[in-house]
Amino acid sequence: MKLRTREAAAGWGLISGYLGYMAIFWGYPFIWMAILAFTKWNFFGKPKFYAFNNFSKIFTDPMFWRVFFNTLNFMMYFIPMVFVGSILFALALNRLKYFKTFIALSFLVANISSGVAYSIIFQNIFSDVGPINRLLYKTFGITIPWFTSPQLAMLTIAIMVTWKFIGYYGLILYSGIQAIPKSLYEAAELDGATKWISFWKITLPLINPALTTMLILSTNLSFGIFTEPYMITGGGPLNRTMTFMMFMYNTAFQRINPSYATAIAIITALINYSLVLLIRKLVEREVSIV
Amino acid sequence: MRKGRTMGEIIFHAVMLLLAIIWIYPYIWMFLSSFKVPEEIFGRFFPTKLTLEHYKFIFTMSQKLERPFLRAFFNSVFVSLTVTFSVVFFSSIIAFPLAKIRFKGRNSIFNFIIFQMLFPGFIFIIPLFVLIRNLGLLNTYGAMILPYLISAWGVFMITQSYKSIPNDYIEAAKIDGAGLFWIIFKVMIPLVRGTVSIVGLFTFIGIWDNFMWPLIVIKDYNKMPLSVLLATFNHEYASYVGPLLAGSVLQTIPMIAIFIIFRNQFLKGISMSFK
Repeated sequence: MKLRTREAAAGWGLISGYLGYMAIFWGYPFIWMAILAFTKWNFFGKPKFYAFNNFSKIFTDPMFWRVFFNTLNFMMYFIPMVFVGSILFALALNRLKYFKTFIALSFLVANISSGVAYSIIFQNIFSDVGPINRLLYKTFGITIPWFTSPQLAMLTIAIMVTWKFIGYYGLILYSGIQAIPKSLYEAAELDGATKWISFWKITLPLINPALTTMLILSTNLSFGIFTEPYMITGGGPLNRTMTFMMFMYNTAFQRINPSYATAIAIITALINYSLVLLIRKLVEREVSIV
Repeated sequence: MRKGRTMGEIIFHAVMLLLAIIWIYPYIWMFLSSFKVPEEIFGRFFPTKLTLEHYKFIFTMSQKLERPFLRAFFNSVFVSLTVTFSVVFFSSIIAFPLAKIRFKGRNSIFNFIIFQMLFPGFIFIIPLFVLIRNLGLLNTYGAMILPYLISAWGVFMITQSYKSIPNDYIEAAKIDGAGLFWIIFKVMIPLVRGTVSIVGLFTFIGIWDNFMWPLIVIKDYNKMPLSVLLATFNHEYASYVGPLLAGSVLQTIPMIAIFIIFRNQFLKGISMSFK
């Protein structure tokens, strides 16, 4: 009994270190977040009480809606591309007999790229004189204004991000496919199912948990994009690549309005969170392999 | 029939190999271009002659432009290693009572950790900036290190793997007279080496590549991590493509090296993250 209490005391000793740290670096900012959201402040002097004005201002701010539709635009490009790409990659990986590790690692290494460095690389690869436009010019006699056209800039960023994430998401799906017992496919084949039918009726439903994970990860990612537009387009052309994170950053540190920026961050998190809930509701299914 | 099938397999493998090479093409292009003379960077894929001028530029010339690349590289190394070591060390210790000691309030603390992980990092950026400013830590290494010393995610991951260790190991060590820290460092950590290295690797990569936070808190060129220094250089000297690519190689190499050395841990970490 005495040992028990001594152990419990030691346990609390270690935990209190955690709680102490989190009180400073999590609790204190948390309180400041609440203060900032409901006041008006410019980093100096005392915050002035502002009630819900920060929040009501957001919904009449044309820039907020621009950013909102930019993010939807990004997701419309990014999610289908990365979804189809990673499923194909996972299926291919499952079929490969040779060079499997080399191919898996080549796709995954894209995911380990540094945000700043890969922005610099793609900025130059897609530039007017870059290798892609050079190739297009040689074969078709055209060049494409990848980052300077308002219609294309977000698509180009979505292509970069897809390049970065297909390997990672593909491997998540691949480990889902690996968990499906081979006997299911054999039984289906005996019943006369084609490969195509097996894919729709067995593979896709059974990798549902991995698919849901992937959709949630890619939704969260869409709300957190910062480095690529900051480095390459600066939010332009015509604010078409302005993302929530750039909007927040510019508002707080360029336009010196941290309270409005905090409200933007909170609203962004809420939109993100409700979208995740919606995805769970629409996509997630209970799966059990007997 | 048979023959057609082997033919199909060969084509399939060839296509996949081609795709894999397309996927690493940006890296190859960056690497080769950083050694090309300026006229050839956009002119041709394979260089006719190799040059070190871009590397020489960022290591020596850039002092005049107030861009100390070498120093920034070591700033990044210092910050990333300190944070990684701290996260692994504290996570391993804090996870122990959460997994293996019974005490009142344990479950609520574990739930609190999960609750913390629900918050996206970006909503804390501005309030954390206020904290760091109030502490007078802007433009210091502390600003980049202190907010990341302990990670809820790290504690969660290690707690989960501690739970799978049978209590017999701990009891046996206690009978031999082992103290709390001896048990943690000599019994528990060696048994969950896989998870500990995953926490370490992902933390290192995350901090090395961290961009928005150091961009906000560090304005002094001598304290910038490489990612931020490279970004400021890109903003002002975007036409210096060669030096920029040399800098990108410098920024990328440690990540790729770690990835190649620990590739099996990465593969394991990915299949874990989805369970």
